[in-house]
Amino acid sequence: MSSPALRGGGLPRTVLRLHRSALLAWAVFVAGASGWLVWLAEVTGKDPNTRDLPCVGDCDTLHLLMGYPTQLSWAGDLIGYGFVAVAGFAGGSLIGRELEYGTAQLAWTQGITPVRWLTAKLALPALAVTAGGTILVLVFRWVSASPPDPSLQFDWTWDTAFMARGPLLVAYALCALAVGVLTGLLLRRALAALGAAAGAMWLLNAVLTSYRFRLWPAVTRTGPHAFDIPDNVALVNEGGDGDSRFATYQPPSHYWPLHLTETAIVLTVAALAVLLSFRLLKHRTEPSA
Amino acid sequence: MTALSAPAPAARPRLTGWLLRLHRPALYVWTALVLLTAALLLLLHGPMADAAAESWRRYDACGFDTTCAYGQSAILRYKDWYNYATLAAALVPFLTAAWAGGALLGKELESGTARLSWTQSSTPVRWLAVRLAAPAVLVTAGTGLLAWLHYLAWTAGRGRIDSAKDWYDIGTFHTSGPVLVALSLAGLAAGALAGLLWRRTLPALASGLLLTAVIWGVHLELLPHLWPTLGRSGHGYVASPSGSWTVSHGGNAARYHVTYHPYAHYWPLQLTATAVLLTVTALLTVGCFVVLRRLTGKAATR
Repeated sequence: MSSPALRGGGLPRTVLRLHRSALLAWAVFVAGASGWLVWLAEVTGKDPNTRDLPCVGDCDTLHLLMGYPTQLSWAGDLIGYGFVAVAGFAGGSLIGRELEYGTAQLAWTQGITPVRWLTAKLALPALAVTAGGTILVLVFRWVSASPPDPSLQFDWTWDTAFMARGPLLVAYALCALAVGVLTGLLLRRALAALGAAAGAMWLLNAVLTSYRFRLWPAVTRTGPHAFDIPDNVALVNEGGDGDSRFATYQPPSHYWPLHLTETAIVLTVAALAVLLSFRLLKHRTEPSA
Repeated sequence: MTALSAPAPAARPRLTGWLLRLHRPALYVWTALVLLTAALLLLLHGPMADAAAESWRRYDACGFDTTCAYGQSAILRYKDWYNYATLAAALVPFLTAAWAGGALLGKELESGTARLSWTQSSTPVRWLAVRLAAPAVLVTAGTGLLAWLHYLAWTAGRGRIDSAKDWYDIGTFHTSGPVLVALSLAGLAAGALAGLLWRRTLPALASGLLLTAVIWGVHLELLPHLWPTLGRSGHGYVASPSGSWTVSHGGNAARYHVTYHPYAHYWPLQLTATAVLLTVTALLTVGCFVVLRRLTGKAATR
């Protein structure tokens, strides 16, 4: 109970104990989504009845919703939008609820300074989110590297494939954590913070998704007549008038610059949210001397 | 104070009034969501569909003339905004479930205001009945309007816009008919049941969402089997007629078969699915009252 005991690992243990059901849910989510992806790649994608290619030869495609591409798109959405749930958890359960019920204020009178309280609240979930997100990225990379059929190779411009093949997926989850914490501190109410944090993160993602292919200089092609644009590119713009045509697009080789630029933007938002959270907390808890 | 000054019969209409007052933020959000989506659907139904259809007409007239300008932006704009409207409507069952589990029941049972109001002249059964009926009316009205407008917006593009969604597209089918209303009511009942079972805000919110997702997933799997399919078989690779929803296909080159739903099955599928989902809603609602009865004891329910 004394403060030395809390300093020696008591606070992290308290945070873990308080949010053990959330930690369990996160572990189940990561394990379930990874298992589903592996199952899709190893079983569904290799079974001619369910891979949902044009069915030739002795095969019987039962139901479209069971097919490999459809299931993959559901699994992809689950992974790609998992950060919305992280934002809701951080705003509602991690911060908003504790401030609404006064348990945070109680903890601050028990030898835990507000800054250490917030540090523990940010650091431990950040560890869990980074570890789980890294597992999901590794599994997704493994699945995308070995499609069951060349025609089932993902389109690299697909939202989930774009996010989940590198650090961007983890960056979104960390940003959701930081934005959720800031929303919880601002609103001090569980349900309001949950809704606002999830909405804000979804909006940030929607905006970045629509400007995603403008974050790196695109390739421009011009010509007197219409021309075929290479396959597998992300078209940014095209047009022209009577005697000249142009098209700007991102070739697949621009994937990593695009991906890392977006990661940097998302992490900057996260850092700003963390900075604002600490400033807000200090402003609230320290008497203005 | 109110309990002393107001006789019990006068409290009857007040219960709904208090409920609406308590959930004003949710009421505002719901009204804004319905009005904005409805306005977008009206735009899609009128000017945006006309512009996209005109672009498609010019594109088809272009033939192989590759320098021909046909106005691709109108087509893409229609497609993007149509998808946003579909997404907004398709999210309603999940938003309803989260709200019902968290804000409507979970919070009141967690903080004890529910128990307080049970001592103030409203029986638990009436307390719950009002909390289910009033949101159900608002949800039915809002989703009914959205589903009708979405159906109009979709039919405005059908046959004129080559890139318009098929009738069996998951998003379009589930937002263009009574299925949307039934799914939203099922979400409300699922959230309410989660709230009564957990009696805690955040777990109720999460499990209400999860239960609705399970209902939605099972419904999606059952949907093609809710009405008898038509079939074709023969030599060579037989395809289902254009515009129909292929449910299964297979065999070999000597004998190949497909089963499918033609467009004429749209309303039978919508109505059967609605009936199934309303049955699920009724069962969940009965479940709510059974849990409440256990919670309060037989004496308190009167």
